[in-house]
Amino acid sequence: MTAAGRAASVRRRVRLARGPVTIGEPAAVIEARLASGEPYRPDTVADGGEAFGLTVLAASVRGLSKRYTGGPRQDDICLRLHADSGTLVAAVADGVSGASRSDLGAALAVRYATAAVARQLDDRCASVDWGPVFEHAAWALVEEHRRASGDASAGVDEAGRSLATTLLVAAVRGSDVQVAAVGDSPAFVLAGKEYDSVVGSPPESADGLVGGGVESLPRFGGADAVQAARRQLDRGSVLLLCTDGLALPLAGGTGEVGLALARELARPPDVVDFARLLDFSRSTYDDDRSLIAVWGPGSS
Amino acid sequence: MKIKLPTGVPEATGEVADPGSPEPIEPVIPPPVAAEPAAGEPTPAVVGQVLPMYFVGDESHSMAGEPIAAVNQGLIDLRDEVAKHPLIGKKVRFGIITFAESAQTRLELSELSEDLVLPTLSPRGRGTSYASALEALRHTIPADVALLKGNGYQVHRPSVFFLSDGLPTEKADKWQARLAELKDPEFRERPNILAFGVGEADPEVIGRLASSPRYGFMMTSGASTAGAIAEFAASMLNSMVASAERLDRGDHTIEFEKPEGFVQLDAPLV
Repeated sequence: MTAAGRAASVRRRVRLARGPVTIGEPAAVIEARLASGEPYRPDTVADGGEAFGLTVLAASVRGLSKRYTGGPRQDDICLRLHADSGTLVAAVADGVSGASRSDLGAALAVRYATAAVARQLDDRCASVDWGPVFEHAAWALVEEHRRASGDASAGVDEAGRSLATTLLVAAVRGSDVQVAAVGDSPAFVLAGKEYDSVVGSPPESADGLVGGGVESLPRFGGADAVQAARRQLDRGSVLLLCTDGLALPLAGGTGEVGLALARELARPPDVVDFARLLDFSRSTYDDDRSLIAVWGPGSS
Repeated sequence: MKIKLPTGVPEATGEVADPGSPEPIEPVIPPPVAAEPAAGEPTPAVVGQVLPMYFVGDESHSMAGEPIAAVNQGLIDLRDEVAKHPLIGKKVRFGIITFAESAQTRLELSELSEDLVLPTLSPRGRGTSYASALEALRHTIPADVALLKGNGYQVHRPSVFFLSDGLPTEKADKWQARLAELKDPEFRERPNILAFGVGEADPEVIGRLASSPRYGFMMTSGASTAGAIAEFAASMLNSMVASAERLDRGDHTIEFEKPEGFVQLDAPLV
């Protein structure tokens, strides 16, 4: 670099000058209110890295609606490594908006569920027995409700009114993916521009309208109510675990959001760009969003 | 709270004018990922999500004076509050159907913007035909939903706010047959119906109209009808805001709190 060039670079200031990623018509720009409350719930969490030949990126961002009202992010994510078996365990949860402390419910569910999977892996099981995983997470919600309310006899209905959440969990070892869900948080395998639904329901019910009731923890129909699947993660394909804040605008992956995600996730972006991508601005979509993306061996 | 509405798609070039520096600033951080679809890619199937809501109001002669004025003012307040909310205005579509001896669509399902011209309701005709109002809903809702879906919207289950100050002036089996059609589980777009009785309305009839026992409300006896209507309108607005803020795939219910001056008819009467 010449002396003049060095002088010019010294004068330049480091600047952040990036607006939101927009897909289609942008949502209104609002000034976000900090969420208050216990426990501390940051607006955005992001994580990622490589493990056991897999590349994983994970983020959970607060929706515009809660940024506007100052409410806490009710989605949560969790990653856990099981070294002995070389397994990545990942979970996302979407706290039910009508439950008063569902942000805490989501946070507890992902942590207890991933821990329960890890315990099964300690026992060298080849297939995850999902029923006990979800029952363990449900139990954690009931215990927390009993502790907070002081009502030692409270059951799943009382706990559900304060802590209800969906839960989606995956165990990935090499190209072997086991995934299971209670509720409407879906999993996909993305190959090129194609989104293959692994678990979860389409955005619209049989009536052709959005919604239709959602199962959640802690009250769920036991092991029979768990949607479970097992897939091979081919080279170049990506496992996506998400909440409906993303699944709804994704709309099966055929529109603008699906194309944008497919293009940007063809290779793993860096952690911060991944969170920014997830936080895209699109008119009328202002719910919390969470996404965990796992690229199989040899993809990075 | 500062609210800045977008004027278009933000462009982040990484270059920012600095009044203190005459030299152009080179981007230090790479430009953002371009998320707009590239040319040649197919037109998006889905552009947004919407929640259709209908006000169905009694325009019979008994509403003359302060009651109908309270309805009109409530609708103006609702439009203004929703229009200035930065997020829900785009998510709600609002329609107005009124009834006296016949039903009239007074506002097609519309986005509530500041410049939306609202109809002024005024007493008309003889009679109070619930059947005509219910039949109008049965025809209007599927057509509206189809139009929205055709325009690329994901549509949430519609909600109806039904307000009456009197008894239906037709035979019971007539309006009840229309109500059964509207509530029929085979009717895919069947709405949530919240029913409100003021003045001389019959609690049993109001309870029957509601799609859930907890959605039926009757003015407290002895209260002012116009005052109760004002409270109803404020609750309708709050419901609209709360429901639109929480739009997700969760369920078919609608956020609603009992208005002041009303009792909830929480026992099923059918």
